[in-house]
Amino acid sequence: MTLSHYLALSGVLFTIGLFGVLTRRNIIGILMSIELLLNAANINFVAFNRFLYPGQHLGQLSVIFVITLAAAEVVVGLALVMAIYKNLKSAYVEDYNILKG
Amino acid sequence: MLEYVFILPLLSFAVAGVILAFGKWLPGRGASAGIAVAAWGFAQAAILFTKAIQGKLALPYEVSIPWFSVGSTQATLGVYVDGLTIAMLVVVTAVSLLVQIYSIGYMRGDPRFKRYYAYLSLFTASMLGLTISDNMLVFFMCWELVGVCSYLLIGFWFEKPSAAYAGKKAFITTKLGDLGFLVGLLSLFYCTGTFRISEILELAHIGFIPPAAAGAAAILLFLGAVGKSAQFPLLIWLPDAMEGPSPVSALIHAATMVAAGVYMVARLYAVYALSPVALDTVAWTGAITALTAASMALVCFDLKRVLAFSTVSQLGYMMLGLGAGGFTAGMFHLTTHAYFKALLFLAAGSVIHAVHTNDMREMGGLKNKMPVTYITFLLGALALVGIPPFAGFFSKDAVLAAALARNPYLYAVGAVAAAMTAFYMARALVMTFHGEPKDMKKYDHAHESPPVMTGPLILLAAASVVSGWALSRHEIFERLVNFEGVLPFELHHVSHGAVALYAGTVAVLSMGLGAWLYKSKPGIPAMLRGKFAPVAGLLDRRYGLDAFFLKFVALGDRLSSVLFIFDLNFLDAIAIDGWAWLTEKLSRIQRWFDDNVVDAAVDATGTVTLCAGRLARLAQTGIVQNYLLFIAVAVSVFAALAFAG
Repeated sequence: MTLSHYLALSGVLFTIGLFGVLTRRNIIGILMSIELLLNAANINFVAFNRFLYPGQHLGQLSVIFVITLAAAEVVVGLALVMAIYKNLKSAYVEDYNILKG
Repeated sequence: MLEYVFILPLLSFAVAGVILAFGKWLPGRGASAGIAVAAWGFAQAAILFTKAIQGKLALPYEVSIPWFSVGSTQATLGVYVDGLTIAMLVVVTAVSLLVQIYSIGYMRGDPRFKRYYAYLSLFTASMLGLTISDNMLVFFMCWELVGVCSYLLIGFWFEKPSAAYAGKKAFITTKLGDLGFLVGLLSLFYCTGTFRISEILELAHIGFIPPAAAGAAAILLFLGAVGKSAQFPLLIWLPDAMEGPSPVSALIHAATMVAAGVYMVARLYAVYALSPVALDTVAWTGAITALTAASMALVCFDLKRVLAFSTVSQLGYMMLGLGAGGFTAGMFHLTTHAYFKALLFLAAGSVIHAVHTNDMREMGGLKNKMPVTYITFLLGALALVGIPPFAGFFSKDAVLAAALARNPYLYAVGAVAAAMTAFYMARALVMTFHGEPKDMKKYDHAHESPPVMTGPLILLAAASVVSGWALSRHEIFERLVNFEGVLPFELHHVSHGAVALYAGTVAVLSMGLGAWLYKSKPGIPAMLRGKFAPVAGLLDRRYGLDAFFLKFVALGDRLSSVLFIFDLNFLDAIAIDGWAWLTEKLSRIQRWFDDNVVDAAVDATGTVTLCAGRLARLAQTGIVQNYLLFIAVAVSVFAALAFAG
């Protein structure tokens, strides 16, 4: 198992997440895809820490921050979703077009 | 003393304004203020006069302050006082004072009483300003102010169309002369480069001004005097000026308006003395005026107009005196004439006040009803006629002597006019005061005027009796106003005694003849009038001068009609309308340019912006994921570029 394997996994995971964010119609699905993006980054942190600075724990520390941040983000995101849903009666992003010029 | 002379006109000006503004609350509705100022002015003038004849004043006195300057020419405001000025000051203030006192009675109950007093003060102020001014600019301003005041006062009862007409006539006729005055003033300025009287006189004395130029300027200036002093042929305004209140006539005829012209000639006498032609013009104009006006008075039935013609005639004498080289004689006659003519007008006013008519044919026998008026009128008439020892005798004798010394023909004209003077005064006196009353109703109504009116009459009568004798004693007047320059011609030596004897005799005889004819044989004048109807008609028509000037005015009218047509058809049609047409066409082109170029540019800016906006709108789909896609693609591209770079 080398660093490249981890990075490849992380890349695949990020791509899947990005793809989800860009293509999912359901706002909940998009939020979930964002989680995938964050976790891809987490894998990178841990992998780099393991292979480049084995004696230290900076990567793990960052990951914990990111997880906390993700939790907070989901809270805020779901609250926003609730608010939007109440107004537009829809969970599909193509209906969220009030910014259209 | 002399330092305060400048206050005289200023105070009168101020009091005119005060009366006009606050007259309602002043005692006597403003009359008191006017009279107080006039009395003060007279006191000052009298003191000056006394000191001057005692030789206690350093004359001429001059002081001036800068007013404004144009280029290198400085206009000044100032005072120039010499003997001539002082003599004039006394006349103006004395007559003004007495006229104002008299007017209390004469104008009692007039609805525009306070305005009347304001005008009188303004009139006096203008005349005083003219008298003491040290430069011709201010002189000219005051000269015109005098004209304005005469307009206001002659047309004072402007409800009467004839009064309004007379006011206009006086103003316009004198304006005709003023045109010449202005041109003369400017040519004098061109010759001397100054408006200051003292400098002009000095330059004239040393012969700096070429005689021809001086003569031309003097004759042009004299045109102004012809208008103001009612000389031939511009004398037509003066008889009509009788439409004004009688005291105004007294003021105009004695001290202010008409004296201004004579005073002007005397003031600039040094300039006139450079040119024999100018002096002869003055003398002959005066002589002709004296004769024509006296002849007109012979047939006139309006008491005031007889006096008006007499004034014109006497002004002719003054001009005759000045023009013949008798500077002192002319001014002397101005002084004495002021007193007896003011007296005659005020007495006539008193008569008119009593009988409410100007027509002598409706008077008669008034001497019993109005003894004071009669006596004073008689004294004034004797003074005017020149019966020794009354005032007119001395001055008229001096004028005639000057005329004889210059030219026997001048003297002859003057002597004939003097005989006529005696005749028409006798006629007026008899028709008004003697004989049987013609109109019993008016006669019964008549009464002596109140003391406020007879008082000034008595004072003026005293002046008329003694002023000639008093002023000629020890040559007082001559030493006061003497002209120190050199006359351009030799004067013949004449015996004053012979002239005086002749003038006195003619006066007495002619007056006696007039009195006898009108008193005892009233049929003869009527018969003569009938027999020589064309002559009488010609005199009544004032030698057709009125008609001539009306023609003249009509000609002006016609000229203006032609100018009007020219204006309408050429100036308006071509110049004004053409310009408008051109302007309109030009604006049409401008409008096209505006619409198609300027506006198009503005619109194009808008259109371009709009299209660009539409284009940019396409990117704004409103679908969040599209934005994200852009971001992702952009990040990828930049990342790739970063790696590649």
